[in-house]
Amino acid sequence: MREKIQELLERAFPQAEELRVIDRTGGGDHFEVVVRDAAFDGLPRIEQHKLVYAALDEPWRQGAIHELRINTKGTAA
Amino acid sequence: MSYSEKIQDVIQSSDVALFMKGTPDAIMCGNSERALGALRRVGAPITAVDILVDAQIREDLSAISGWPTIPQVFVKGELVGGADIVEELERSGELEQTLVDKLGENYWEARGEKTVSLT
Repeated sequence: MREKIQELLERAFPQAEELRVIDRTGGGDHFEVVVRDAAFDGLPRIEQHKLVYAALDEPWRQGAIHELRINTKGTAA
Repeated sequence: MSYSEKIQDVIQSSDVALFMKGTPDAIMCGNSERALGALRRVGAPITAVDILVDAQIREDLSAISGWPTIPQVFVKGELVGGADIVEELERSGELEQTLVDKLGENYWEARGEKTVSLT
């Protein structure tokens, strides 16, 4: 599932300067994702996180992700 | 009233609405605890709603907010975020600033928690 998430995020954020998916518990269902992308520049955090949720809509709906911690960063600052 | 209407009512009528798993006295999830902790530390006047009492509440809430996870924090009717964002905003001082901007600089005088049941 970690690889799947990584792949979906890479597809959604092809220009990302940083993109990491961390399996927080080793159990394959609690993840933290770190994405640094110019797409986030100037966006409120809530909208940044919505973009990440949208990218992971499929595994999310399937219930494959129990917990998702999101860490988004713009490239401006 | 349907759940959707009750949820809208809480969102619109509360200074700070926290949709969480469990109640502030009996928290059922670590992420709800994180959001609640951040709100407590900045002295927010919290209206808490336990979404676990009926699975339909969570579904209706996410349909309204466009946010898939619990907890969800609203200030004056506007979605601020879940546990990650609220903690991050607390650390940067933006959470307090948002409360000052939306509720006035003496917002903390009304700090405390009440729990609202949707059933």
